[in-house]
Amino acid sequence: MQEAAVHSEHETSVWPMVVGASVLLAAMSLLTYFHWQQPTLGVILAGLTVAVLAIGVTGWAREFFQHGTEEGLGPIAVAAFIISEVIIFGTVFVTFWLYRITHFDTWGSYVPEGLDATFAIWLTLILWSSSFTIVLSERAFSRGDKNGAMTWLIATIVLGSLFVVLHMNEWVHLVDEGFTVSSNVFGSSFYALTGVHTSHVLVGLGIHLVLLSVLANGMMTSDRPTFYKGAALYWHFVDIMWLLVAANAYLIGGSA
Amino acid sequence: MSEAVATQPTPWFRASFKEWIFTTDHKKIAVLYGMTSLLFFSVAGLMGMAIRFELTAPGVQFLDPDLYNYLLTGHGAVMLLWWAIAFWGAFSNFLIPLFIGARDVAFPRLNQLSYWWFFSASILVLITLIPSENIRMMWTGYPPFSLNDNAGPTAIYVLIIILIAGSTLGTGVNFITTVLRMRAKNVTLGNTNLMTHALISSIVVQLVGVPAFVGAVIMLFLDKYIGTQFFSASSGGDPVLYQHLFWFYSHPAVYVMILPAFGVFSEVLSTMSQKPIFGRVSMIWAIWGIAGLGFIVWAHHMFTSGMPDWLRIFMSFTTVLIGVPTGIKIFNWVATLHKGAIKLNTAMLFTLGGIFMFLIGGLTGIPLALPAFDIHVHDSAFVVGHFHYVLGMAVTLGAFSGVYYWYPKITGRMINEAIGKTSFWLIIVGSNLLYFPMMMAGLEGMPRRYVDYPEIQYWIDMQEIATVGGVLLMIGVIVTFIAWFKGLSGPEAGRNPWNSNSLEWRLASPPPPHNFDSYPVEVDEDWTPYKY
Repeated sequence: MQEAAVHSEHETSVWPMVVGASVLLAAMSLLTYFHWQQPTLGVILAGLTVAVLAIGVTGWAREFFQHGTEEGLGPIAVAAFIISEVIIFGTVFVTFWLYRITHFDTWGSYVPEGLDATFAIWLTLILWSSSFTIVLSERAFSRGDKNGAMTWLIATIVLGSLFVVLHMNEWVHLVDEGFTVSSNVFGSSFYALTGVHTSHVLVGLGIHLVLLSVLANGMMTSDRPTFYKGAALYWHFVDIMWLLVAANAYLIGGSA
Repeated sequence: MSEAVATQPTPWFRASFKEWIFTTDHKKIAVLYGMTSLLFFSVAGLMGMAIRFELTAPGVQFLDPDLYNYLLTGHGAVMLLWWAIAFWGAFSNFLIPLFIGARDVAFPRLNQLSYWWFFSASILVLITLIPSENIRMMWTGYPPFSLNDNAGPTAIYVLIIILIAGSTLGTGVNFITTVLRMRAKNVTLGNTNLMTHALISSIVVQLVGVPAFVGAVIMLFLDKYIGTQFFSASSGGDPVLYQHLFWFYSHPAVYVMILPAFGVFSEVLSTMSQKPIFGRVSMIWAIWGIAGLGFIVWAHHMFTSGMPDWLRIFMSFTTVLIGVPTGIKIFNWVATLHKGAIKLNTAMLFTLGGIFMFLIGGLTGIPLALPAFDIHVHDSAFVVGHFHYVLGMAVTLGAFSGVYYWYPKITGRMINEAIGKTSFWLIIVGSNLLYFPMMMAGLEGMPRRYVDYPEIQYWIDMQEIATVGGVLLMIGVIVTFIAWFKGLSGPEAGRNPWNSNSLEWRLASPPPPHNFDSYPVEVDEDWTPYKY
């Protein structure tokens, strides 16, 4: 069971440093925008961050698929990462519940009119069907059916993007109604719950785009499924978290 | 593993600049972590010395109070995150693949990326050296003070934590996967080195704990710049929530720092007394017991913050309970020495000194776990003395001992024992003179964190002794640096100078780029690292 794995990879790689540079750029853009209060420069730096990140990830993926070997260890790492993600969601849940309990007497006045649990059900259906399509995509991929895999992957991306767009649209409506992050502790924790989740959806979509590109240009073949498995595992996690987020933000939070 | 096929290795320090910055080799990345860590350790040490000189006499001598707050913040944050945690990152990187007989870590490129996250965080720390960017909110960053403009740039503090957390999580998933799946044949979780368990348990604690800290500082960021109400008491938020989230990680973080030191103590004691470690299985359980219990004791940092009594009693009880696995470890170490062929070299001295310092720190920690005592000495110099014994000295002596012990493996050379031993005695005398008077002044009511204090003769006496100790400690650390530097031209070490059965000593010194000669590596079924 514990065969020592032999990495035949190169001893050096340029790409982690490029991705690392995008990390530093991201931090600098946030500092420039919020702390040094140079919004324009901050946005430019953010754009640069995305560009450098894209270059880094592309190069990394190319090197991995062209020169690297695969041990199939990715899903274990993703599972370990999910443990830490559960804690970060847990932090926000703890915050929400603390305020839900300590402010139970005035909570009713915090809940905005436009907060609609049925809308959350629609969002749930959209996101959960994307979990379903990625399973179909993965199955097609392991059969060697590249077109099927790509079709279902695109469907997943469309459903995920639809979720983000509808969700952001809802935020805009709620903000218009006067329910903002600074309205009250429900405002803060509602946007924290939904925001931390949406940021994970966006990361998942980014991963899907990388997946789609390595699938489209034929670098990833069905004998190298590790990246696929890891990405799908992460996506399922994000979808499951949505149920908890929606139940708390809309049902427990939305009831007076 | 035959001796003959070993090719003449190129030592890691002969690598070209390009190899250094783009390397995915766990040994070179370890050296990068170690060097960055030592650099910041030196800076934070100088910050500490500046604080020490300022406190030698009452009144404000030469540090402006704002600058003093910055130095206090910098000393705390850098010593904890860049030294006591990050230096073990160097050990994990260098040793874990060798302990388990692996070619490299599971994800070598991710390993390099983790270093660059760490490097980015280091750059942000350097930015805070600019006077207008000084952070003055202490390493805890408690709101509401940290949201105040006088506390310095909250954003830099938050991003430093987030970047260092990114590095930690990358390292975490990488090494957990490595240890679970890349062990050589017949190397099991039961018979691997205690140091493997020590490092991995600290990595697991970080993986579970760090996200809570990240969540807390992100909320801090949002409160300051976006206008959320998480910690704003005037709008119904709760500043104590931040403290809970912060300590949920930052208490287990002390085990992240000390558990690897325990690992070093076990390896060094066993090898230098040429005896199998006593109670090896109980040691493994103790390590994981400490790691697990560490998550249910955090509120003992907050006994004066306002919380229900049941929580105080519960956390006080669990804190005292941690003394049990820690006691098991200390008794086992002593029993390992019993009738051993003890070799009192520098590595061994540092280990014995580390256990001694931990014992003093641990025994002063037990009364601190009791609210009845703690509320009187909370925020006093007693607490400062206590945690410098455990985190300051036990961790540093453990880390130094580890470097002295693996130095022949890392560099292929032997250090000069006389210089090493001189350093040890300077450090052990200096640090006791430095921290014991702090505890005594604290028991007499001296508060921590202030730049100034009233002219109370007892406090002044204690502070003067502490400053003498601080100077000795600093000289001792410099002597250790000299020993390491001069060691590079010392005599050849050979493969196994300490006569250990652990896997890393089967390799040439320094280890060749590909570690073992052939893969998969295999050991005998009854192999143990502690056979002499």
